[in-house]
Amino acid sequence: MKKPLSSIVRTIIIFAMLCITLTGCYDSREIDDMAYIVAIGLDTGKTNKLMMTLQLVVPPKIKGGDGGGGGDAEEGSQIITLEAPTIYSGLNMANNFISRQINLSHTKVLVFSEEFARNGIADLVIALPKGREFRPTVNILVAKGTAVDYIKSVKPELEGNPAKYYELNNISHLHTGFTADTMFHNFYIQSKSLSIQPVATLAGVSKYKSPEDLSLADSTYKDKGRPAPLEGDFKAGSLPKSGSVQSEIMGLAVFDRGKMVGELDGEQTMGYLMVRGKFNKAYVTMPDPIEKERFVILNIRQARKPNKNIKMVNDKPVIDIRIMLEGDITVIQSGINYESPEKMSILERGYEEFIKKGVSDFLVMTSKDFQSDICGLGSGMKKKFLTWDQWKDFKWLSRYKEATFNVSVDVKIRRPGLTIRSSPITSTEGEIYAR
Amino acid sequence: MSSKIIFGKWEGTVLLINLICTQIILGFPRVMTEMAGTAAWITIIYVSVIMLVAFWLISKLYSRFEGMDIIDISQIAGGGILRVITGLVMTAYIMYIISIVLREFAEDMKVIILPESPISFVTLFFVAGMIVGAYLGLEAIVRLGAIFIPLITIGFLFITIGVSPYYDMANLFPVLGAGPEKIFGEGFFRISIFSAASILFFIAPYIRTNRNFKIVGYASILISSCLFLWSVLSYIMVFPYTVSIENFLPIYQMARLINYGRFFQRVESVFVFIWAATALLYLSGAFYFIIHIFRKTFKLEYEKPLIAPFAILIFNISLLPPNLATAIQLEEEYFRKYIWIVTIVFPIIVLSIANISQKRKKGERKGEKAVE
Repeated sequence: MKKPLSSIVRTIIIFAMLCITLTGCYDSREIDDMAYIVAIGLDTGKTNKLMMTLQLVVPPKIKGGDGGGGGDAEEGSQIITLEAPTIYSGLNMANNFISRQINLSHTKVLVFSEEFARNGIADLVIALPKGREFRPTVNILVAKGTAVDYIKSVKPELEGNPAKYYELNNISHLHTGFTADTMFHNFYIQSKSLSIQPVATLAGVSKYKSPEDLSLADSTYKDKGRPAPLEGDFKAGSLPKSGSVQSEIMGLAVFDRGKMVGELDGEQTMGYLMVRGKFNKAYVTMPDPIEKERFVILNIRQARKPNKNIKMVNDKPVIDIRIMLEGDITVIQSGINYESPEKMSILERGYEEFIKKGVSDFLVMTSKDFQSDICGLGSGMKKKFLTWDQWKDFKWLSRYKEATFNVSVDVKIRRPGLTIRSSPITSTEGEIYAR
Repeated sequence: MSSKIIFGKWEGTVLLINLICTQIILGFPRVMTEMAGTAAWITIIYVSVIMLVAFWLISKLYSRFEGMDIIDISQIAGGGILRVITGLVMTAYIMYIISIVLREFAEDMKVIILPESPISFVTLFFVAGMIVGAYLGLEAIVRLGAIFIPLITIGFLFITIGVSPYYDMANLFPVLGAGPEKIFGEGFFRISIFSAASILFFIAPYIRTNRNFKIVGYASILISSCLFLWSVLSYIMVFPYTVSIENFLPIYQMARLINYGRFFQRVESVFVFIWAATALLYLSGAFYFIIHIFRKTFKLEYEKPLIAPFAILIFNISLLPPNLATAIQLEEEYFRKYIWIVTIVFPIIVLSIANISQKRKKGERKGEKAVE
């Protein structure tokens, strides 16, 4: 009879096997052997199809968390530009002169130049989801000007780590409403949808080097018939600001058939979020309903998802949208006591009209100017069909240009802020700003 | 390996749920969407009802054979020849699916986390798990499953509920998707998604009573139906039809989307855990039954000497498809469409013959008594 192995021999065998299997295998890759790309920029190339800009993090020079240390944001990343036929061939080329192996698993943004986006990005977008490292949560940006200039302009001083800057910047729409969540997953599924078209965040580099250079030349306020711009009447790159942070995001790039067909400013983007039911909260400034030269500001949030009703009248889409918002009073420059129940309704009606006009103009713009259903209103129409083939044959996206809109807005003011009553400022001449 | 092994309804149910539902973490939600479009969930309800009716019929036919497995019943129905035919048919069926699933698991592992490793190297890890499982026996497999399957189910629910911010109910429309013909016509053949329920015939001796047979059968079919339904519903709500037919690992793609703030992301590591655990439990369970059926078919005394030859055979067969696409095609285009004939129709025929044969024998005995 065979003698069984002693427990010591068995233990040695198990440990030997564990040492072989757990200490590394074909796929072992050390984290400091990798070069992590946080941003990819794509412009039209001069010598090849793509001019690709890669922003790599330099881990030893990234500022730590509480401990600090390391260098500044500029030192924390390295930017290289090369030309290649495709993204992956460009990465292959870059691996020749970067000592570490390039890895896309921490990429935060993919930036297309406006020219590139207008010529069409469908072939690139289709290819991306196959890559294992490329994450669906990467944000898609369209840079006014060039992508390389935008990436070079990203020098955040508050964040030593450029990856954190992109991450926080990408979610700023949650408290501004001036951009949207344009992650690759949404962009991809909307590019292939029969009921919605994609959008990308509009990015740009500030035009103004000093406060003396500031101008309103590129503001959209005149197109809206306003005497002076409000905060949402700008697109990325045209914000009247100067300072060390040159990179900006504001507004959206509108796509149709894989090509960029238009732009939305900050206010129109807010309308987009409200219609889609994705508006979180933001300060919304409006001329005072009584004192037109003063402003009131509400901190507005979406109370409920909007109600949408789509019907075909004379073979043309008629779309009814009801947006429900609620807000807290933040500023009343005029000192009028809008906090009182009697006057609160004046403010509510004023806001309803103000937002209704903005949203209606935005929807007409998407239908008549861009002919692109970026709000996914076709989803409501889709429910009226029984089979996919019937829906496909209906060709909603080509009918959207004939759509008419009936928008209604319901604003309810919930809280007056920290003061229950506004009172006038007094001077030697008596009360001012008071009615 | 001894026939004295006895386990409860819970262990039996989770074993069957594991064997039936493993396809969820492979390509199941995509396959159903490819066939029925946005109405894939209706197809699942439809085939689940058919399967429940089929099981009702099977349990009626089985009622005379308490504690017997399908090999014993074939012996009663058609003697040694039918026993061998049944044994070989069932062995071939499990060999086919286990080889393809082994290849798929290994290929998927290579795509997801081990891109540099050779496919044979990755496959060997799974084969090692199969061998260890078969050596330890059915009791170890089912008891381990009883602990891990609930955890795996929690992981699955965690992923599918975690992507709820991406849900869009509009993706479920048009409600009839690819059309009634596809849902109810072609959809009928998708009853094959429950093919692994046929393993119930082999665990019958371990769960002993007819009552347990029925409870385990109905419970595993109902719970599997719910998991199938939820996997497809959540998948379609996240990925609209036009994109849902592209993803080759739907649940993994869903896990990649989970992103709550800056700290809670890259949840696919949970998927890798549930995925590897499901693979090992599925492969070791199915592999054990190949050995068990083969031994019983040919009335061999020992099972352990069969483990190594069958493991080598399955390892080699799994490497026969030239690529992942072929392996997926072999599973989805052929196996999942037609295997119901082997796993549902064939046992019904065997049970029917066995019932007739028993009635005839009883009649003969009564006749003999009357003559006496």
